Amino acid sequence: MTSSLRTRLSTAALFLSAVLAAGTAGAAGKIAVITPYLAQPGTQFYVEAFQEAAKDKAWDVNVIDTKGDVAAVIARLEDAATQKVDAVVINVDPAQVEAGLAAVKDAGIPVVGMDAGASPYLVTNVTSNGYAMAADTAAYVANRIGGKGNVVMFVFDAFPPVQVRGVIADAVFGNNPDIKVLDRVTPDVSDGGIADSRAKMEALLAAHPDKGSISAVWAAWDQPALGALQAIEAAGRQNEGIVITGIDANPQAREAIAAGGNFEASMAQDFHGIGKAAAEAVAQTLAGKPPKSSVIYVPTKLITVDNVKD
Amino acid sequence: MASALKTYGTLIGFVLVVVFFWIEIPDTFMTAKNWLNISQQVSMLAVVAFTMTIVMVMGDFDLSVGSMASLAGIVAALAFRDGHGVWVGVALALIVGLLGGLLNGALVAYVGILPFVATLGTLTVYSGLAFLVSGGKTIFGRDIPQAFSGFARSGISLTETVTLPSLTIVAALVLAAVWFTLEQTTFGRRLYAIGGNMEATRLAGIRVRRLRFFAFGLSGLGAATAGLMYASRVASANPTQGSGLMLDAIAAVFLGMTMSEEGEPHVAATLVGVLILGVLGNGLTQMSIDSYVREVLIGSIIVLAVAASSLGKAKG
Repeated sequence: MTSSLRTRLSTAALFLSAVLAAGTAGAAGKIAVITPYLAQPGTQFYVEAFQEAAKDKAWDVNVIDTKGDVAAVIARLEDAATQKVDAVVINVDPAQVEAGLAAVKDAGIPVVGMDAGASPYLVTNVTSNGYAMAADTAAYVANRIGGKGNVVMFVFDAFPPVQVRGVIADAVFGNNPDIKVLDRVTPDVSDGGIADSRAKMEALLAAHPDKGSISAVWAAWDQPALGALQAIEAAGRQNEGIVITGIDANPQAREAIAAGGNFEASMAQDFHGIGKAAAEAVAQTLAGKPPKSSVIYVPTKLITVDNVKD
Repeated sequence: MASALKTYGTLIGFVLVVVFFWIEIPDTFMTAKNWLNISQQVSMLAVVAFTMTIVMVMGDFDLSVGSMASLAGIVAALAFRDGHGVWVGVALALIVGLLGGLLNGALVAYVGILPFVATLGTLTVYSGLAFLVSGGKTIFGRDIPQAFSGFARSGISLTETVTLPSLTIVAALVLAAVWFTLEQTTFGRRLYAIGGNMEATRLAGIRVRRLRFFAFGLSGLGAATAGLMYASRVASANPTQGSGLMLDAIAAVFLGMTMSEEGEPHVAATLVGVLILGVLGNGLTQMSIDSYVREVLIGSIIVLAVAASSLGKAKG
């Protein structure tokens, strides 16, 4: 027993040493990337792009996924501060991890946000421009219906990143005197958002039974757009030319757009570009020239049937 | 010698892990600041594990602690949002924790459901309640008063750069209270008697049902305390945020149990279990080791320690 326990423990120690040796070879900068959301496809894309960019710069990148545990992000931020890494990149709401960000700041380590939200603790936050995405899809709707008709909006004002999209769409539709916003619907999102949006849209279709009485549906994200599409198809009104747009261009939305039905457009965020730009922001900061703006926007792209397959 | 190693194998393993990190990370690991950091990082898990020890002493489990921690955080945050003071929110959350724990106790002790099944059921119920009352949303920002979120960032300054964190102090107080209850009171000794032989304990005239009822109450109270600490630390409350605590707490108690000759849980040994988990998390992050490797290592060490201990016992 005595010897077998010793053998096991020393095997574990050997394993640790091997992992360590692999981890710290030839580093020009130690960067900790900390997120609870690595299981989300978007996060994976920008972390991969960040790692790719880091390879060129010969950085030693440690990606830490706390698997949904936000308090563990604070713990890992504190560890990164103790470890004296050269920079930290986070993908989490900074307001929820301020305790950890304060520790990192006290250690004099810069933090760059990768689609994280604005915070005084961050050198800068690299993200997509929610205002611009809403402007693109709202303008698409206004142009497609010739600046005239009834529009249904799906919004969610309780969540700041989505709220800004609604404000811009309001402005675009308000600027077209012949466009009337029929209803500004806030769906219940606890089921994911599609089912309740479909129910709300079915009610609106029932209340406006005449062909042409609804010209378009503008949704602040893809789920309500998909719900509206289901409602329109279920009501057999898919040939009335009702234009639907969403935002995010998730796989389900892309499929609907590719099918060439009522769901005509959505916005794709450049996740790869966000990761690359975050690496660039880290490089500038390490070189002593941190980005001036507290937010860096990475361009987004309007997805329609013409480019959905690209 | 062999029996000493059987008992102290886990402790020796812990010391080896610490020495390993000390050698590998010479500048920052073995510092007061880092250890206070670790103590703060494990404080929530520690509180759950300490009170989990109380029910595990009787040979029972409480699987509902994680969702109770989430529910307690949500209850406090909703009270804050409705304009109640910090103490009202904290008191409400603790009452919910105690009642939830006593419900577990009633199901186990009086209705006679196996603890695994009873607390698996309440795990789902408490988790559902947390989603229900919060509407599934994270409560954060201005809804959480500064006085509440500030607590997790406060502490007693020891030197200019070293602070004893408030969360560590809470965990230490809970440790002292649980140690006193289990080791120094009749109540605690009777719980160990139940764990030894429930039927014999009952025949000896001890009111086994009432003791189990209250022991589960304490576990619920501990879970709610940890939930409040978590909510304070992240300055927000989310209906799932405590869910990771349950398995880690049971793992910590198991690691501690390998240190006892009889395989009984003791709260001081649970502390070693908690520290093993915490030190691995802290040290491996500092060594820039992939977080998934960390998961594999932690799991392997748990199995290794328990296996070493039970193999030793089988031979001995």
